[in-house]
Amino acid sequence: MIGTAKEKASVLSFVVDGVHPHDVGTILDQEGIAIRTGHHCAQPVMDFFHLPATARASLAFYNTREEIDALMAGIRKVAEVFS
Amino acid sequence: MSDLRELYQEVILDHHKKPRNFRVPCDANKHADGFNPLCGDKVTVYVRIEDGIVRDVAFQGSGCAISTASASMMTEFLKGKSEVEVARIFERFHDLVTGKSAPEADASSLGKLAVFAGVRDYPVRVKCATLAWHTLRAALDERQETVATE
Repeated sequence: MIGTAKEKASVLSFVVDGVHPHDVGTILDQEGIAIRTGHHCAQPVMDFFHLPATARASLAFYNTREEIDALMAGIRKVAEVFS
Repeated sequence: MSDLRELYQEVILDHHKKPRNFRVPCDANKHADGFNPLCGDKVTVYVRIEDGIVRDVAFQGSGCAISTASASMMTEFLKGKSEVEVARIFERFHDLVTGKSAPEADASSLGKLAVFAGVRDYPVRVKCATLAWHTLRAALDERQETVATE
């Protein structure tokens, strides 16, 4: 997880070790999960974290626990494809 | 939507993990930079060309699995080819990943590169697969400006 502020909003940037965020995005997309990947128009903060890009899930009040479970299963699938 | 394995074939994952010709050749006589700022994919392609023949081609950079594997397999495929052949292969590869040609039509002329046929089902990834190729073309044309495909 990138950015660990105490009062964090539900916009969660993350990376999967050894996998470029665009590959993460494509695989999650295939699982029916829409996230954003890339610089998020925030290149200076990417430089700050020494990252080429991140994956980013934006959760809102209408998202369910099941959908978060599906996201986690999707991330595990990413790791599996690239294992 | 097609199967993920169509896109992330074993050979693509292998070239991503262990890119071939990932080096800076000291005797390269042409090179160019490619950069897709939105993805963060960066590549520098080096070529040594003698009498119109690609004697050596290598690359450096960082990017997603598709862009790294594409650069790696491109360098393996083009060594020993003439500039005229390179131009023809570039067009065929471009048609393959954009879906302008039938995958089986390219299987014979593109050899291993035919594994990139899966990219046609993912239009947003075409820019990843073609970055190294456009950068190579810029190197051969001795263009100075950084190439982008997004």
